[in-house]
Amino acid sequence: MTLSLVSLTFIAVIGLLAIGLYALLVVHNLIKVVVALQILAKGAILGFILAGRINGQIGLAESLALTVIIVDTIVAVIGLSLAVQIRHHMGTLDVSALTRLRR
Amino acid sequence: MEATTGVIWLIVTPFATAFIVYLIGRILARRSGAKLANRISAWLAALGLLISAYPLYLEDQIVLSNKVVLFKQGGIIFYLDGISVLLAVVVLLLGLLVVIFSARYMSSEVGAEKYYALLLAMIGGILGLGCSADLFTLWVWFEVMAITSYMLVAFYRNQPASLEAGFKYLVQSAAGSVFVLIGIFIVFAWNGTLDMMRIRYFLQPPLPPILLVAGGCFLIGFGVKAALVPLHTWLPDAHSQAPSGISAMLSGIVIEAGLIALLRVTSIMGAASELWGNLMLGVGALNMLLGNLMALRQTQVKRLLAYSSIGHMGYMMFGLGVIYRFGILNGAGGAFFHLFNHAMMKGLAFLAAGVLLYVLYIAKGDHGTLTLDDLNGASKRYPLTVFTLSVALLGLGGLPPLAGFMSKWQIFVAGFQTQDTVAMLLVVFAALNSVLSLGYYAPLVNRMYRLQPSVAVENGAAVPKTMVVPLVVLTLLIVVLGFYPSLLNWLTEPAAGILFLFIRG
Amino acid sequence: MANVLILLILGLPWLGALLVWWVGDQRSKAQIVLAILFSVLAGVASLVLIPFASNSVALNIPLGGAFGDFTFVADGLGIYLAAIATIIGSLAVIFSVDYMRGEAQLGRYYALVLFFIGGMAGLVLTSNLLLMFVFWEITALCSYALISFHSDDPKAVYGGIKALIVTQFGGIGLLAGALLIYAYSGSYDLQAFIANPQILPPGVLAVTAFGFLVAAAAKSAQFPFQTWLPDAMEAPTPISALIHAATMVNAGVYLLARFYPAFERVPGWREAVVVVGVVTALMAALMALVSNDLKRVLAYSTVSQLGYMVYAIGTGGVFASQFHLMSHSVFKALLFLAAGAVIHSIGTRDIRQMGGLGAQMPLVRTVFAIGALSLAGIPILNGFWSKELILESGSAHGPLWAWVMMVICAGLTALYTFRCFWLVFAGEPRSHLHGHDAGTAMKVALIPLAVGAFLTELLAGPFAYILEHTVPLMEIEVGTTLSILEEVVTTPLTLVALAVVALGLAVWWWREKLSGLSEALAGIGRVAADSFGFEAINRGIVNSTNWLSEKLRRTQTGLLNWNIFGITAGFLLVLIILVIGG
Repeated sequence: MTLSLVSLTFIAVIGLLAIGLYALLVVHNLIKVVVALQILAKGAILGFILAGRINGQIGLAESLALTVIIVDTIVAVIGLSLAVQIRHHMGTLDVSALTRLRR
Repeated sequence: MEATTGVIWLIVTPFATAFIVYLIGRILARRSGAKLANRISAWLAALGLLISAYPLYLEDQIVLSNKVVLFKQGGIIFYLDGISVLLAVVVLLLGLLVVIFSARYMSSEVGAEKYYALLLAMIGGILGLGCSADLFTLWVWFEVMAITSYMLVAFYRNQPASLEAGFKYLVQSAAGSVFVLIGIFIVFAWNGTLDMMRIRYFLQPPLPPILLVAGGCFLIGFGVKAALVPLHTWLPDAHSQAPSGISAMLSGIVIEAGLIALLRVTSIMGAASELWGNLMLGVGALNMLLGNLMALRQTQVKRLLAYSSIGHMGYMMFGLGVIYRFGILNGAGGAFFHLFNHAMMKGLAFLAAGVLLYVLYIAKGDHGTLTLDDLNGASKRYPLTVFTLSVALLGLGGLPPLAGFMSKWQIFVAGFQTQDTVAMLLVVFAALNSVLSLGYYAPLVNRMYRLQPSVAVENGAAVPKTMVVPLVVLTLLIVVLGFYPSLLNWLTEPAAGILFLFIRG
Repeated sequence: MANVLILLILGLPWLGALLVWWVGDQRSKAQIVLAILFSVLAGVASLVLIPFASNSVALNIPLGGAFGDFTFVADGLGIYLAAIATIIGSLAVIFSVDYMRGEAQLGRYYALVLFFIGGMAGLVLTSNLLLMFVFWEITALCSYALISFHSDDPKAVYGGIKALIVTQFGGIGLLAGALLIYAYSGSYDLQAFIANPQILPPGVLAVTAFGFLVAAAAKSAQFPFQTWLPDAMEAPTPISALIHAATMVNAGVYLLARFYPAFERVPGWREAVVVVGVVTALMAALMALVSNDLKRVLAYSTVSQLGYMVYAIGTGGVFASQFHLMSHSVFKALLFLAAGAVIHSIGTRDIRQMGGLGAQMPLVRTVFAIGALSLAGIPILNGFWSKELILESGSAHGPLWAWVMMVICAGLTALYTFRCFWLVFAGEPRSHLHGHDAGTAMKVALIPLAVGAFLTELLAGPFAYILEHTVPLMEIEVGTTLSILEEVVTTPLTLVALAVVALGLAVWWWREKLSGLSEALAGIGRVAADSFGFEAINRGIVNSTNWLSEKLRRTQTGLLNWNIFGITAGFLLVLIILVIGG
């Protein structure tokens, strides 16, 4: 039972990371980009829980996961506020509009 | 002061100052207007950095006598060694100069107290990163540095370009940070500990494949911050759009901090050091070539300097690759020496460009872009600024008798000491890249010494005196180190030694 | 004592440079006085140093680690080149007083000249390979900055950057060689290496030897790097005289001479040196023949004469090469400065617009004639003796074909020299340009050089004596001045060479009657005017680099998804490498 839970979590971690990365590659909306980052981070957080489960230090793993959640939320907040500012100054949330800086 | 509490003081002081600066700045801004608030915040920030230099000085005495300082509180481990001292010295020195520079540069911005508070927090983050001895603490400080730098890059909140740069930087950096986390949880799962020294002890060759994957994740994660090709795409945007002081910090120390973090995590996997070495040599070559070629045809000054940073990361990676792959101590010595010199030279270049940007545009309330054409004939009105910028550029191009030459030389020496054909050919390749880089540094210098000034220069404002101070200090440093390179051995040799110890177990 | 003098020779010009820069352009009088004072003092110091010649380390600044000991040795070879650098340097500074009068940013000019003088002296006096490379690059830096001194002129900027990049490119040869020596012997001391080159494995020694040859060729504008020197003629003329005729371009020859004892037994090295010398001498002489720019004629002639020196080293005539280097420094500096006086007075460098200037500027005509005769190798001037010595060494120890080529080249030299002199000073004026004779400062610089062109051959004996005693590895046994000169006079080969020189003059004299010949050679002339296709190669390299750069810039699309793709691709790449490598 434990084994299957571990492997299930493992699949979930890989799945979340893959979905997050794929989303970052294809989405064009700034808000969705931030959501994709969140999915990626959730994959990592789940990874910590998994790691704690494997080496038997679940307590430590949980506190690490909590820290990651906090940091991650801060990043999301800043990302969203930048998105709001961009919407405010450029009137769009489309990634492809953000190509004034290139070459 | 106890040695262990010194570490805490070193890291806490910038954050405490950041808090005070923000508080006093806000109050003053409400009561007596932005002008005074900005000025007081700047001097408070400078004071804070000076104060944190004192514990560093004390710690340094211990580290120089080949001891390390260890501080353990639960799972959090701080550890002060040669590499920490190197990073701390560079960040405090450059940070202090940037604050002095910013006192005028940011004087008419709204909310400059936020700028100083964030800058101090970023410096604190870098100090913490250098002293971390467990993987998770390392990541936390790395994130502190990253988050503060997002906000600083996007500091001009009404400038579309800086918003764009900030957002892209945030997304790429956050994605990279997830890779770091993946690496950490793999290592954690395998070893059951996050203490880097214990992990180093556990991991003897051959490394299991899963840990190699973790190492790859670290390489990518920290590589984004260190602007390794092809993860570099955020750098030219962020470094060119940030306020000039922040550009100097980003190019001078933040990407190098990414590199140091990378060293910390790959050195605990020293059991596979040859593999990391090969990767570093390859990435180093790529960075040099791409950075220089991209810079060659730029038309904006700060963007050009940003691309040149990518190239210079390549030199450092090459030197580190040599120590990882072949165990040649000079590789790390040269890389750390170049790290210091690059911080000084690129810092100077961005600050001098910032002075010109300020007198040509910002002083008139215009957030324009400084183009190469704007610099035509600038020497006539701004002889000192132009001279310092020329020194920085020629030093970056690796011309003696400037510091940049000497550190490149040490890296090249390491490459040849391997007596390995591929490494020696890579040195020749690196030298060719240096020649190529003169193809954009030299015309820029010539431009500034034209007799016919550009329109922008003709209408430019006068250079504020406080802005000149950091330029002169940095120029002197670059020249003196060029004449007497071993002056910095006390800083680079312990750092190289500790890296060597880690890699070779 | 020697250590103090070495510090003075290096330190005085650099201190002067700092002071000149410090004084500022508002006080240009003070700048000039300082520049003259410090360059002359350095010259005096270098003369005083001569009696202290020795092959032991005179000055040692230990740095340790990867930087070694910064050592200086004042042996015969170093001292005499340092003396040339400082003395001709001070003459060039004095000449500049008139030449650069009224120019803007004089502080930058004089500071760089002084910086160069110190750097050049350091290059020849140091015995640390790292320091040698440092000074090598410092001279390149000054050369670049002074060529492009008139930064408003795109041609000057182009010429400066070209000079910098070409010599830096070649400098990689020196870098690699120096690093190889350090990596295999653990020391930067070049004297120890020269005394014991077997410390390097044969293959490594060969790479070092050819690396140094590449560096020397780039610095001395030898085949295939000769193209930068003509373009460097955009520099103010005193700079051309000092850096691009008398001192810096000799650094390559110096390097080969210095390391000759170490490399002479490397298979194929001497042959390669001979080929480089011969090809350069001939090609440059042909280009000098067809060029219409006064300074370019002199530049090609410099390249050609440097070819002679390189050829001499390839045939083992190290003393002959250094002797010619001395003669050449004097008469070519004289020619350049005289040409500078002409250009300064009439404002053009095109010799087709000149003609008949001799009557208007008699002094300049006289000194130019002295320099030209010396260049052409007419007895009793210094160029004659040293060139004959080279040809003699070449016939004794070098291949016959090379000797024949070099003799032909001597004839070509006479031909182009005479053509140049004739078009500038003789005949009827071809335009309404009015010249005035040289100013006081110019005269002060020109006359000692003109006297020197008559007399420096008398230094052959003492010079040989110092070399013999302080650079023993070169195995120089030449004897007194009298015996050297006697040897030249009594060799029948001298007559052959003189006959060819006379033939060269005769060709110019009867140029009208030889029109058939000149038409037959018109094809060569066209190719020569196009610098034998080397310019096209340079252009190709520059264009393709720029093209690559532009193409590469497209990879920075600015699209966020693309940036993330970079991360993903990087990750996959690393994983693949890990799978293969681990």
